[in-house]
Amino acid sequence: MPTPPGVRVQATELEGPVFADAKGRTLYRWPLGQLRNGPTGDPPGKSECSDQRIEVSAGLMSPYPSGLRLPDLERRPACTDLWPPFKANERARPVGDWTILKRKDGTFQWAYEGFAVYTSVLDRRPGDVLGGRSDKRGGDSPIMREPIKPPPDVPPGFSVTTKSTGRLLVTEKGYSVYSSDHDISGKSKCDAACAETWIPILAPAFAQPNGEWSLVERSAGVKQWAFQDRPLYTYRLDGDTNKLKGSDVPGWHNVYLQRAPAPPAGFTVQDTTVGQVLADAQGRTIYTYFCGDDAMDQLACDHPTLTQAYRLAICGGGDPGRCLRAFPYVTAPEDAKSTSRAWSVITIEPLTGRLASPKQQGALRVWAYRDRPVYTFAGDRRPGDAFADGHGEFRGQRNGFKAFWLRDDFFNGDQPGPG
Amino acid sequence: MAKQAQLAGVVALLIASLQSAHAETVNGGTIAYAMTSLRWATYLKPDARVDCPDGVNDGPREQFSALFPDNGQPRELAKTQLQREVQNWFPTTRPDYFPFREPGGTQALGLNLDGKVDPEDFTSLDGEPGIDNQMYRALGCINSHRDAQGINDSLNSGEIVSNEYNRTLVELNGVDDLANDDEVEVKIYRGLDALHMDAGGKDILPGGTQRIDVRWGRKFIQRLDGKIVDGILTTEPSDLLIPWAVFNLPADEYVRDARLRLTLSPTRAEGLIAGFTDVESWHLQMMKSQSTHCQSYGQQSAMSIYKAMRRFADAYPDPRTGANTAISSALRTTFTQVFILPESKAALASAGPLPRATMYGGTPHPRTPEEEAGDLPGRAVATREP
Repeated sequence: MPTPPGVRVQATELEGPVFADAKGRTLYRWPLGQLRNGPTGDPPGKSECSDQRIEVSAGLMSPYPSGLRLPDLERRPACTDLWPPFKANERARPVGDWTILKRKDGTFQWAYEGFAVYTSVLDRRPGDVLGGRSDKRGGDSPIMREPIKPPPDVPPGFSVTTKSTGRLLVTEKGYSVYSSDHDISGKSKCDAACAETWIPILAPAFAQPNGEWSLVERSAGVKQWAFQDRPLYTYRLDGDTNKLKGSDVPGWHNVYLQRAPAPPAGFTVQDTTVGQVLADAQGRTIYTYFCGDDAMDQLACDHPTLTQAYRLAICGGGDPGRCLRAFPYVTAPEDAKSTSRAWSVITIEPLTGRLASPKQQGALRVWAYRDRPVYTFAGDRRPGDAFADGHGEFRGQRNGFKAFWLRDDFFNGDQPGPG
Repeated sequence: MAKQAQLAGVVALLIASLQSAHAETVNGGTIAYAMTSLRWATYLKPDARVDCPDGVNDGPREQFSALFPDNGQPRELAKTQLQREVQNWFPTTRPDYFPFREPGGTQALGLNLDGKVDPEDFTSLDGEPGIDNQMYRALGCINSHRDAQGINDSLNSGEIVSNEYNRTLVELNGVDDLANDDEVEVKIYRGLDALHMDAGGKDILPGGTQRIDVRWGRKFIQRLDGKIVDGILTTEPSDLLIPWAVFNLPADEYVRDARLRLTLSPTRAEGLIAGFTDVESWHLQMMKSQSTHCQSYGQQSAMSIYKAMRRFADAYPDPRTGANTAISSALRTTFTQVFILPESKAALASAGPLPRATMYGGTPHPRTPEEEAGDLPGRAVATREP
């Protein structure tokens, strides 16, 4: 796959392989998208992310009007402060899906599949994908910056979707793919009766094995796809896309190309009326906070280095003390260490929500997921309660809290993953 | 004398024959139904001016414009938009200065929940006094809950069919006669399957099958005692948790002292679920179902309705404050007959002890008296008189 000089493929914990610059910084794009009252984002061949600080809201999300002065204006960055353009030099030439566009200031910027390419100032090390994400947060979420990925290494007819549990293998229509412990040595033991429930994923006659992908012959001339020597199926009773229901049947498993890192020691998994959530040691549901503002540049407002005005409003009515009571941070023990990059221990000034130095008086050591603190909710009284799921603007898709869903059996598998 | 006895015998046979013609035997003494619609019982005339002589209420968009007119002065997002959202998510009883318009009539749907006839009670459509439905006062003049215009009401009820999270099943056990039986057991479950539709995908047909959700739906497994009189099932009061998710967020209604009053037939059931709805649960379900954007469609101001509900609340006083936390209400509902698969019943038998449903207690729980009254920082601007 041809790429510009220095661009490489970088392995990441949550998003799998992504394109990165020569320093390993993840590359992102911001494709144009439609919101309630109009579109924003980059159209093909043009960057709308400028170095001019935006001061007022765009009114893209009804019912509130445009022209409202944005919070913390004196500290609000310009788009390029957070999303430096991935510049091309004057001698650069298009290669493959990579082209070059000219910015308003006359400089050149790489584009991928037509869309301007950026890095994120939140990414500090190779493999970080802290600026944006590839899974969708729901129709009313901001126009997201998404990491640019090489096409997944799957045959035609398959796809990969990023969930909180990992990179799930699905069919091109989104149905979950399963394998069975009963199938050994690359043979399918699923007979005609079994295949009524477990539908073999058949391969076309011209399909060829490739890497971890192989073919097993079900009957003369009928081939079935296999991954890592396990024949593949869909589950008739899943009923909908992105489901994990088939893995409840002993011996059957969803297929992942990559599992998500394990949560910190002591965290638990709890059953709810929807499926399963991640919870703390006491069984209290874990929540993430997600925020994107209603300005034309749709900047994030959910990171401790960015404005806390939105979060403090929605977690405590603007009262930091009430925030701490309603949505307490999940504190980490002194000796707590994460075994992954996705989970970390950060130090927070509890009343401002900003990052603090480790020795700062009154600072809290808290667990963070994707560099953002996680919370519990005081209104949850028993394990399995998730009353604050969707607490906030646009049901938590804009400025609010979402439960850390690990499994969702009811909403088409679309409960957005954690923020 | 013999002729008289003969005649009496013929009459007795005739009566027995007539009675058996009205009796509805139920195969195995069990019949089940799946819920197909659910709406708050707001009795309405087609013309809103009849029910709401003062007009219908304003919604979020109108209230925002009244509070923060675009008069050329800078408007801060933090002091306008965010403060409105704060009041939605942390509602209080503090007045918002907007007039709240309520229905002017004396009739309402519902049941006499407390056995009394009080001045604030309504009269049913067939003349029964003492109907407790203060929820109607809160919702009767909200466009969103008016039949013809009530788009959110229709949307929410539509989710009862389309969203399997909301698949409420009612199973009647020990039924000797679907027309009259003085003791039946009523079990409530959540089903797992889509409803049986006609070929056009429009009409819901009886006779479909359902599995009981014995894994995620354990909180929804509930039991009521009931009786059937002249084809109408009535249950004894019991708290009831009803799954009612809209737009892919889990949300439930918690109705205290709930009772079913359903007209039964072998293929369908319809009627009311009446009781005292927990106000905090109602508000949370509404906020999760509809963002401020969706509430604006039907002029449904979450914060104004919350204040009204707390004013009209008539049961379950908070032991700390004495303020009522639940409001008398009724839901109109319909069901279609379904068969619950036997293997599902077997799974239920081995499901072990069932968890008790949790009632939402407000944000955060419990509130301080200051929070209850709305005396919080940053409220002055957004609650000013328009």
